[in-house]
Amino acid sequence: MNDIYKKAEEREKLCREIKSMMVEQLDIEMDPEFITNDQPIFGRGLELDSIDALELAVGIYDKFEISVTDDNTTIFSSVNTMADYIEVQKLENEG
Amino acid sequence: MKFTTKEIMSILPHKAPFLLVDKVIECEPGKYALGIKNVTIDEPFFQGHFPTEPILPGVLIVESIAQVTAVMYCAEFMESMKQDASANNLSEVDIAKKIAEHVGYLVEIKSMKFKKTVHPGDTLHIQVWKKTTFASLSLIEAKVVVDNEIVAEGKISVSEKN
Repeated sequence: MNDIYKKAEEREKLCREIKSMMVEQLDIEMDPEFITNDQPIFGRGLELDSIDALELAVGIYDKFEISVTDDNTTIFSSVNTMADYIEVQKLENEG
Repeated sequence: MKFTTKEIMSILPHKAPFLLVDKVIECEPGKYALGIKNVTIDEPFFQGHFPTEPILPGVLIVESIAQVTAVMYCAEFMESMKQDASANNLSEVDIAKKIAEHVGYLVEIKSMKFKKTVHPGDTLHIQVWKKTTFASLSLIEAKVVVDNEIVAEGKISVSEKN
């Protein structure tokens, strides 16, 4: 059971880091805590657009040292989808 | 890689009075470029900007950064065309036309600081680096130097036309 708690905690920490990166990178005047993990980032939701996606790609590289190489914008659907991508890439980099 | 005025005129769609780079003296295709622009009193915007004190408008410095970026991009496309055997039969004009088709648009001025004014007689050394690419957008870092002093620096984003 401890393992699951630990994983959940790590995931929550990653999500928090993503949110603070977003606020910082995009100069959003908002407390990162107010962004929820499943909130849509583009269009309604945070009202970001494809130009902001470029900034997020830069932010992910600077903060997590992961380059978003494929042109798949669905990575930036929500905080959770970004966290998924970062987790997978981290595993790949380790392996 | 280097580009003369004539070469730049053939690959960029920009023409006078809006071609704001004279030559490119260093270029790593798709990564880095250093362009030169000589500022002269002859240029039309100095009539009004300003009648008693000619200063190169900051927005035109941004445009010159975007144009050097466009050359850096075209250089990358030229490289890939060289590898493509089917392009060998094309005339120089056709090749230039194909390259010009790839020049995209300025999509964002992320940040830009204008640290000193630029006057007629100054030579702009426009340096651009590509930081990241995502989808068809690229983030570019730029620095513009006159007489070893930075006159402008910042970040812009450009799009690629496919």
